[in-house]
Order: sequence, then C-alpha cells, then structure tokens
Amino acid sequence: MSETASDRGASAPAGRRVAGILRSRPVLTLAMVALVWIAASLTSRGFGSYGHLRYLVELAAVIGIVAAGQTFVMIAGGIDLSVGAVITISAVGVPLLSWPWDPGGTAGVAGILVISVAIGAVNGIGVAYLRVHPMIMTLAMATLLQGALILVAGGSAVSVQSPAVVWLGNARPFGVPAGILLWLAVSAATLWVLHATRFGARLFALGANPLATLLSGVDVSATIVTVYAMSGLTAGLAGVLVLGMNGQGYVGIGDPYLLTSIAAVVLGGTSILGGAGTYAGTIPGAVMLVTITGLITVVNASAGWRSILFGSLILGLLLLSGRESRR
Amino acid sequence: MSIEAAGDRSLYWRVQLGRNHGARGLFAVVVLFLLLYAYLFPGLLTVEGFSKFSQTWFPLALTAMAQALLMLTGGISLAIGATVSLGAVIAAVTMTQTFGVAGGIAAVLATGLAVGALSGFVVVRLRLPAIIVTLASSFIIGGAALLVLPRPGGAIPPWFSTLLAGDTPVALGLLALIVLAWKLYLATPLGLTIYAAGENPVGAFRSGAPLDAARISAFAISGALSTLAGLFIAAQTGSGDPVIGQAFTLNSIAAAVLGGVGFLGGQGSMRGALAGSLLLAVMINVMFFLGLPPVAQYIAQGLIIVGAVALPHLAGRWRSA
Repeated sequence: MSETASDRGASAPAGRRVAGILRSRPVLTLAMVALVWIAASLTSRGFGSYGHLRYLVELAAVIGIVAAGQTFVMIAGGIDLSVGAVITISAVGVPLLSWPWDPGGTAGVAGILVISVAIGAVNGIGVAYLRVHPMIMTLAMATLLQGALILVAGGSAVSVQSPAVVWLGNARPFGVPAGILLWLAVSAATLWVLHATRFGARLFALGANPLATLLSGVDVSATIVTVYAMSGLTAGLAGVLVLGMNGQGYVGIGDPYLLTSIAAVVLGGTSILGGAGTYAGTIPGAVMLVTITGLITVVNASAGWRSILFGSLILGLLLLSGRESRR
Repeated sequence: MSIEAAGDRSLYWRVQLGRNHGARGLFAVVVLFLLLYAYLFPGLLTVEGFSKFSQTWFPLALTAMAQALLMLTGGISLAIGATVSLGAVIAAVTMTQTFGVAGGIAAVLATGLAVGALSGFVVVRLRLPAIIVTLASSFIIGGAALLVLPRPGGAIPPWFSTLLAGDTPVALGLLALIVLAWKLYLATPLGLTIYAAGENPVGAFRSGAPLDAARISAFAISGALSTLAGLFIAAQTGSGDPVIGQAFTLNSIAAAVLGGVGFLGGQGSMRGALAGSLLLAVMINVMFFLGLPPVAQYIAQGLIIVGAVALPHLAGRWRSA
C-alpha cells in the first residue's frame, strides 16, 4: 500500500503494463499527433519538412509553457483565466523594464517574471484566503490587468530591444531553437514537481478532495497561493518567449493563449475538475493544437472561417478524447 | 397586512419574501447606489434620463439573466459575449431586408435558440464540461458573427431604434415582460427542474425530473436572451458590430455573482441576478459620468467584483472569530 506514482508501473505485470500504456491518455494524444502529422505531410507538400515541423514545435513551446502552469492549477482543482492577460503584460512590459546598467536585459526579464509571480500570487490569495471562486478571481484579475495595460502601454505596440529576449526568441544553440530548449527545461521541472515531490502529491490530493487534504494537515491555503504563483510564472515566461519570437509586443498578444492553454491541458487528459492528470499529456496536446492552427492557415480562409474551424476542431478533438462524466 | 389575508395567497407571498432573505443586503446597496446616482445626476429623475439609464441597464440585465439561468443549473457560459455580437450583426443585416423588422426579430430569436440548444446538447448529451464547450463555441459563434458582417455595418430602421432606445422607457417595459415570462416558465416542469438540476442532479433524475431537457432548454433560452441583448445594442447604435458584445461575458458572470448566484448550481435567484446587474450598471454609469479614465474603470470593476464576492465571507469569519 506504500507504493507511489513512480513505482506503480514497475510493479505491474508486463501484459497489463502494455495495455495500460496503450490506454494512457498521453500516449493516445501522442499517437493522434503522429497520425495527423503523417496524414498532413502526405497530402500537403512542405508540411513534413524538418524545418516546418521544427517551427511547429517552436510555436507549441509557448502554449506548452503556459499550459504547464495551467496543468498545476487544474490538477489542484482550479482554473486560471488570467494567463492571456499575464502574457500580454509580460510581452508589453519587458521593453519598459530596461535600464542603462542592464545592457544584457536579464534584469528586465527577471523583473517581469517577479511581477508575473506576484500577479499569480494575488490570484492565489484571492482564491485561498478571500474564498473567491477561481473563475471570478482570475477573470477579475484579467479585467484589472487590462486597465493596467492601457496605463503602461497606452495601446501602442512596443518593439523589443533587450538582447536576452531577442536571443531567447531567435538563437539556435546546437541547431535547436532556444524556445524549445526552454520548453524542455520547463517540462522536466513540471513533471518532476508533479510526480516526484510531496508538493505534487498534495496538488493531486487537493484537487481530488480539498476537505480531506485540509484535515490531513496540509497547509491548503499556502499550496493554492503557490500553485497560482507558478501559473503566473509560466505565463510570464511564455510572454517573454512570445515577445522574443515576434519582435513586437502589443495589447491582445496573449489572448489566443487562454483557450489553447486550457484545451492543451484537457486534451492531454487532465480533468478540469481536478485531482487527475499529468503534464506528459499536455505536451502532445500543445503540439496538436499548433498543428491544427497550422493546417487552418494552410486552408487560407477568412478570419471568420478560421475562428469557426479552430473552435470546431478543438470541440471535435475534445469529443474524441476529453469526455468525462460530470459529477 | 395583506399577507394574512387569504390562505393560499399568504403562503405565496411568504415564500416569495423568504426568497429575498439572502439578497436583502444587496437590495439595500442597490437602492443606496441609485439614490447616490440620483443625487449626483438629478437628470435621472426626468423621463428621458430615466429611459436612457434603463437602456444602459437593459442588455446587461438580459445577459445577467442568461448567465444566471445557466449557473442555476450548474453550468456556465463563456460564449455570452460572442452570442451578443452574433445577435447584433444578424439584426443589423436582416432588418432592412424583405421581411423587415419582424423577420429580423424572428431571425435573431431563432439563431439564439439554435446556438444555445446546440451548445446545450454538446454539454448535456455528449458530457463535456460546460466551461470548455462554451469557450470553444465562443470562437465558433464569434467567427460566425465575422462571417455575417466582417466589419461594423448594416442598419436598423430608424423608427425601430427610436422605439427601443428613444426617450421612452420601452426597454424597461420589455424587461418587465421578460421577467413575467420567466415567472411563468418557472411554473412549468422544465422551469421547476432548473433548480433541481443544479442543487441535486442525481436526486432529481431519480425522481423522474426531465433533467436533460431542462438543461438543454436552459442553454437555448440563455442563447435567445443573449442574442436579444445583441439586437437591442444594434438598435441603440443603429448598426451591427461583430465584436461589440465582448465585455458581456465577464460582466454577465459578475452581475450574476454579485446577485448571489452560486457556481455550483441551485443557489441564488433571478431577482438577485437582476439586482446584481442593476448595481453593476449604476456603478459603470457613475464612473462614466464622474469622468474616470478607462484605466480606473477596469481596475474599479475588477476590485468591486472580487470585493463583492469576498466581503460576505470575510464578514462571516470576522463575526465567528
């Protein structure tokens, strides 16, 4: 009875283990991505080229990093609807945080990450101590940030000067884009925290049964604040990456990432009700979403049709894989 | 006291008064804010001023009802804003065509019912969480609005605009009619099931309540209320705009929550949601007339929403400590 999540797989018989792997959501989502990629490269020329696939994964890195925080929050039974606004704040804010004594720009990036963490922590304080529902708290935070954005950016686009951000968006150490390397690092850290630390175990417990978790002596409020702060951190990180890849930050740059981060998490098999899931599913989920968006741009439709296709495809994918009985 | 007049009648009013219990504080705050508003801007007390004010409240009241209806069944919609936009563009495109204003109203209503029923079907029958379905459908509905009218345009017959959004409180009368219709709907089996579906779905199902039908029709009605709000906004502005409804997603949730409607279903009442929307409308108006910059408006709105939800909890804890 003392087995943990990490050694449960090893103790199961081989046959059951194979069946378990085939039934696991991360593997299924991965298979779906592979299927779509093979089909798309057979039908559309240029889709399967190494450069294009690398570009897709680079785009997926942004969604994947935001979705890491979203996975934490959702497993703990919450939801973060402010990630889009935090990404925008971060992308618009980095160019403002440049000082003459900081030619490399790293202090600016660090500063914006601290701000993002603080925003997330305020979300968490609202949810944990003021008992505001996560959806209300994070939506209200998004509204608040919208006001703050007008204050800091004044509605105009800002271009990036910080060398650190430019490097993150464009450098290719060892031929791999820095964004993908960052995503790898975030993924490794996320998986480790979720499945190999006490904190991760508490998140699952909190999502499954908050009352029991509280009664077993876990500091529930502190855990909730930490979880939202982590979501703020990943959203801020994603904002820096988007700014680096785009070269420009503008109001609304983060908006598309709200739905995609939630969809990536749910596609990957994490329950929106909390208590179950893994980031290992979110990773192929993020790649899947980017692939869909890529295919839609290939179709060359109007903005209205693109939006309809995007929504329908996400809905269709969720119908295929994301069904869960409610209550 | 007329409450003790006749047997049946007295029970009815006692139940109705009892349902005000949790919302009494809210009603007091609303009255207070209205008085403050009237004190700051005596123009509210003229017919024109009152009409204009009720017209700024009307679409918010409709969307608050649309959201509260879903929240009472244990659902939620993040597609209210997109549905409002869709209603606005359809009204602006159809009303100057062959079938005129009546045809336009029918088209707007039919679209709202269909869009809502479809989302409801996916949520209820295909068992996907409402928040994800409506988040995805907000893209589909918003895309449809862009297809109908890629950029602001279309037209509403001027006489219709004057009728709805002129210097007479027609909008308030319409709202009274809609509230009356809601009262009647609550007396039907589908209406009765709304609270049961939110409060105790398993129990409701076992006692044979038409759970799925009630939920799907709640989505359909909610869609129709949203597109009607869009129609009204189109009449107000005289044309259609495919993104005009965006703010209503958050504001409808905020109004319902301010009005004491809970997220878990079955808690709260429509009168609460209406009072919540009225409070929000007054606050937005006051901030506008005080000349606050948009920055302050956004920030104040965010703070007020969080405060309204957090204060009762804090007060309760302070009292028990």
